[in-house]
Amino acid sequence: MAHRWGMVIDLDRCTGCEACVVACHAENNIATVGEKQAAMGRAIHWIRVERHWEGEFPNVRVRFQPIPCQQCDDAPCEPVCPTYASYQNAQGLNAQIYNRCIGTRYCANACPYTGRYFNWFNPSWDKPLQLQLNPDVSIRESGVMEKCTFCFQRILAAEANAQAEKRQLRDGEFSPACVQSCPSEAMVFGDLDDPQSEVSRLSRSDRGVKLLGEVGTFPKVTYLTRES
Amino acid sequence: MKRRTFLIFSAASAAGALVDVTHKKGLPGKEMIRFIPETKLVPGVAVHRPGICTQCPAGCGLDVRVMEGHAEVVRNGQAGLLRMGLAKKLEGNPEHPVNLGKLCARGQAGLQVTYNPDRIGHPLKRVGPRGSGEYIEISWEAAIGELTDRLRPLASQVDSSGLVFLTQPLRGQRQVLIERFLSVFAGSAHVPFEFFDDAVLREANGLSFGHYQLPTYDLANSRYVVSLGADFLGTWNSPVAQSLAYGTMRQGRSGVRGRFVQVETRMTQTGANADEWLSANPGSEGNLALGLAHVLINEHLRSAESAASAGDLIEGWKDGLPQYSSEAVAWKTGVPPATIRRLARDLSAHQPAVVIVGGSPLAQTNGLFTALAVNALNALLGSANQPGGLQFSPYAAGFAAPAEPRKGVLSPNELAQQILTGRPSPVQALLVYGANPAFATPPGWQVKESLEKVPFIASFSNFVDETTEMADLLLPDHSYLESWLDHVPESGTNEVVIGVAPPAMEPLHNTRATPDVLIETAHRLGGRAAQALPWKNYEEMLRSTVLPLRHFPGSVAAGSDDDFWKKVQQQGGWWGTTTGQTSKSASRPASFSPVKEQQPEFDGSAKDFPFHFLPFASQQFYDGRNANLPWLQEMPDVLTTAMWGSWVEINLQTAQELQIEQGDLVEVASAHGVLQAPAVPSPGIAPDVIAMPVGQGHAQYGRYATGRGANPISILGPQRETNTGALAWASTRVRIRRVGKNGELCLFSTGPITWGEKQLKR
Repeated sequence: MAHRWGMVIDLDRCTGCEACVVACHAENNIATVGEKQAAMGRAIHWIRVERHWEGEFPNVRVRFQPIPCQQCDDAPCEPVCPTYASYQNAQGLNAQIYNRCIGTRYCANACPYTGRYFNWFNPSWDKPLQLQLNPDVSIRESGVMEKCTFCFQRILAAEANAQAEKRQLRDGEFSPACVQSCPSEAMVFGDLDDPQSEVSRLSRSDRGVKLLGEVGTFPKVTYLTRES
Repeated sequence: MKRRTFLIFSAASAAGALVDVTHKKGLPGKEMIRFIPETKLVPGVAVHRPGICTQCPAGCGLDVRVMEGHAEVVRNGQAGLLRMGLAKKLEGNPEHPVNLGKLCARGQAGLQVTYNPDRIGHPLKRVGPRGSGEYIEISWEAAIGELTDRLRPLASQVDSSGLVFLTQPLRGQRQVLIERFLSVFAGSAHVPFEFFDDAVLREANGLSFGHYQLPTYDLANSRYVVSLGADFLGTWNSPVAQSLAYGTMRQGRSGVRGRFVQVETRMTQTGANADEWLSANPGSEGNLALGLAHVLINEHLRSAESAASAGDLIEGWKDGLPQYSSEAVAWKTGVPPATIRRLARDLSAHQPAVVIVGGSPLAQTNGLFTALAVNALNALLGSANQPGGLQFSPYAAGFAAPAEPRKGVLSPNELAQQILTGRPSPVQALLVYGANPAFATPPGWQVKESLEKVPFIASFSNFVDETTEMADLLLPDHSYLESWLDHVPESGTNEVVIGVAPPAMEPLHNTRATPDVLIETAHRLGGRAAQALPWKNYEEMLRSTVLPLRHFPGSVAAGSDDDFWKKVQQQGGWWGTTTGQTSKSASRPASFSPVKEQQPEFDGSAKDFPFHFLPFASQQFYDGRNANLPWLQEMPDVLTTAMWGSWVEINLQTAQELQIEQGDLVEVASAHGVLQAPAVPSPGIAPDVIAMPVGQGHAQYGRYATGRGANPISILGPQRETNTGALAWASTRVRIRRVGKNGELCLFSTGPITWGEKQLKR
């Protein structure tokens, strides 16, 4: 049974707390790079929270926007890869095959959402921090691009479970780490091909917009705009 | 080289490397020992165990994902490899009434407490001078023996033993255990301390509503929310419960979207979500609340009587608060009169509505006045104990902190004075558990100096921090994932919640659970001490406390005690509507007379120190306890994107006038100290305010935190809220000057990004 995974992020619910950011680090074995490298722009956050300031004191407003990979249907990162390391899998995800990647970083250049991150060195963890590593997720080495996978390991595990129990996947039975943790329930994940799913219903909302929709990337992440 | 020679050579060098490695690590023997695993876990298959988050006082339930793995551990003094269950991911416990499966960023990072490379792995005894970090490793037998020997003479004292137990505020059986332990020592004291302690709001709620506890806000049913300074979506009170409710308030109800106004001097993460953001002068928030009440009463939107006893606490309430006309209040607060009138009318029109107060407005010298004023306003609006308003979580007597104010509780300031002066009695021994006052108190309180004078200090901390480095004996606790846990949430739920969880994993190091160490010590002391703590261990104590709950309707139904205890552990606690002894409202002291308007007082003159100084709870580190977790160090602050350091927030316009640019090194000076940090000019801060996150600037807290950034608490004045004695941490004044160009500001985002902006609006 094919799925087309998508996400809805309700900006009217998002509080900018960044639980998603740390949840993603914990789930996906994302290495911290330390102050010096972070200052050089080498920190890796598969999901980040952008903030947009408006106005001047005291009439100031801020809008938060969490930005994971938008999992574009027409992804600019894919055709530029000389080794086909960036490709679109059968479920519509913009996948990255680490073993194929030779680190040209063309994909990072092409991504309008700056959602791809380069490993400038081999990750390391001071002992015993390596015990936190999730055995379901491979560690990326120096010279390789990495990005949000919609927690593909969780998709695989849920599919395997459903298959073992000889049933279809249920809407909402699993979600990526960011969605699961989100304290204000701003994020919803599910199958866009299932018209009954929560994510399908919400992505049809009249508050729904695509980030940089005009560039024709056809993202599978839909933002619901704030109502104020 | 022939193939055969090569093989022999490589085999030899591999063997050599192995021996070498084990020797370097100081492991006994020549090879790594493999312990016989006790775990029945199947490799690659995760199990989920309940837990309780201890990263902040809220007490959210955890769901710990445990998988099989291989860890270097110490067992009976022997290091080796053990195949064991390892916590791999923390999620919220979906059953727990406070967080319903959700977790915040600090909670998510909790794995790094357990796996932190700087954990104290075994008992230590100090050999060098205090603070030198020179310890020798000793056995638990010797460590508990030493503690017992030190305490035995104190237990025999008739009038004053001189024993003080300094802890973080505890909300469960650890509190009961410690008080029972101390009951054996005449005149001993339990000093609970944390920097952001909300004592002022508890006191005010006791006076106004008869509940000495933090409120639970039913935001999910609110239609209009005004928050005065409270970072309730980020760090304050029960942030996950409040965020869940906030999400529902915004988009969880068909056709209804709650409106939210934030009033504060520096935009918090919470304030950034407001529909309308207002700035009021520091310490004037009580005036604003009474200004709103004035409009409600004088425009006959509400009658003064409807506030009942909460209104009686405010002088002039019955007369309609004549001195709080919108114009008068506007002059004091800086909020325009028309805005005050509009806010009041909106609060009245959009019911249910609630006004929240917390954080810096209550950390002024007039904090209690402010809190009482806001309580009276809530009562006037009919929001107290109502759906969509503020409520008080019921909690079971005997399970947590009392519902009455605890008289005679010392603050670290008074403790320090007692240590330094020896009056009323000298402090002979200090036990420290989960509190770090040497980092989190202003220099004027002399905590650090006083610790030098205590003859004996023992610490149960996981880490060597500024307070623990003064200890003579280090008795490291298990991490919270390795411990028996219990926690009674103060707020965030409408049910009686008693969180209980068994250890999610076996201990990695040669640590021991502090409650068990206390029980063991009491047994060795014998006599009354052994009687006071009659249990074999903490597990048995928890079991005996929890079992009576079986007879009340709640989340666990069981046929026998054993079955009940098993199910409570599986669920991560017990919750229900009553335990028969649910706390009742306490009565207001008869002697309390109505409060007059009180002006805030600031430390330092406006002439020498033209700026208000606002230390704020950090999104990453709360009060500094999480600064040793690399995930949180590298998590960008959401408003500035700053990582791995401190920064000084200053108004954009003010910065231009002072020729301070983003990243410049600036010096902030109060009458009590000086610090340096990079500047971040921001549009979201008042022109006369300088703000800094609390949490960095540790002199001692492991490799990730030590020597990083600056500690704003180190320049605070010693001023206290006048009625409660709580530290008025937002009442210090400072001056600022540019030092130089490179402040080494580490930002995730390099500039203002606006390309998404048009997508965010309709």
